[in-house]
Amino acid sequence: MTMQITAALIGVLLAGSILYLVRRDHLHGPYALWWLIVATATLVLGVAPRTVDRIAEFAGIAYPPALPIIVGLSLILIRLLQLDIERSRQERQIRRLTQKLAILEQEIAAVAASLPAPPRDSPATGATAAD
Amino acid sequence: MPDRSPAPSACLAVLPARNESATVAAVVRGVIDHVGCDVVVVDDASTDPTANEAAGAGATVLRLPVQLGAWGAAQAGLRYGRRRGYRLVVTLDADGQHHPERLPALLAAHASGGADVTIGACPGRLSWAKRIAWAYFRALTGLSVTDFTSGLRVYGGRAIDVLASGDASLLDYQDIGVLMLLRQRGLSIRETPSTMSPRRSGASRVFSSWFTVARYMIATTVLCIAQVGSGRAATADAGAEA
Repeated sequence: MTMQITAALIGVLLAGSILYLVRRDHLHGPYALWWLIVATATLVLGVAPRTVDRIAEFAGIAYPPALPIIVGLSLILIRLLQLDIERSRQERQIRRLTQKLAILEQEIAAVAASLPAPPRDSPATGATAAD
Repeated sequence: MPDRSPAPSACLAVLPARNESATVAAVVRGVIDHVGCDVVVVDDASTDPTANEAAGAGATVLRLPVQLGAWGAAQAGLRYGRRRGYRLVVTLDADGQHHPERLPALLAAHASGGADVTIGACPGRLSWAKRIAWAYFRALTGLSVTDFTSGLRVYGGRAIDVLASGDASLLDYQDIGVLMLLRQRGLSIRETPSTMSPRRSGASRVFSSWFTVARYMIATTVLCIAQVGSGRAATADAGAEA
């Protein structure tokens, strides 16, 4: 097996998995677009690895194998940063929703307590326990 | 808002509580006896009967389904107060270290001082480690506060609006981050001496182990550095920062 076939195999497998996940709706909106671009890039680089050499020559990089490593690492760092920003946004939302939930729960209990007592045969009694 | 709003002068006491069933009822009764204001206990996902004890003593109870920490609980109380139209909120700890009988003096100091926030400080109780830490943060932030972590505070209407907003939701402690946010918005902060006793049960949330202290110091330092420049300009027009 030549290096060419190994690279193509890895590229096709990765791109295939990503496409499968996107089609199965496991990746949400903007992430799907990002991963489709990654899938395309791995497919192109796997099938035609000489592309790297041509891009490196065009960009004036003397040692072409460094190009995909540098570009890949930079993209991973940017992606990680974006993930942490997203995590912080979600943390803020979770905290505020938790607080609002507690406030609304108290208000519902207060409103329920001010209502007249339900008729005897009503099944909806004793539901005060916190779940 | 389903209920009638409180009188303009009405005050709400907010007690964040996590596993304080031994002390919370006494503190709630103390506040009702000495100030006569409404009390809301924010139960921070306690695993003991804190919520029942508080409700039995006459407090309104907010039960957080997920633990949010001391500030997350206090903010829930502030948001509750704002929703109900309170323009004066006093926060105190539910573990009994703050004396409810000192609240009238604190509220009077707040009314006469005219600041947006009045902190009840007890410099005498600080350990040498805390003194060093607070001197460091005073130098870093330019805030002239002697007791940064005191949970005994009175917030006026403008402070409630700022602290109930989403801008304050990612803070973790009711301390320097809260004060810096208030200063950045041009609000004034005063400190007034008060008395406190050592915690009757439980341990300090911040100063419990060297690992926690290190993490707290680093996190707060990062917070301070991220705020450099944004605060000091606002202090100039805030003026009366004592």
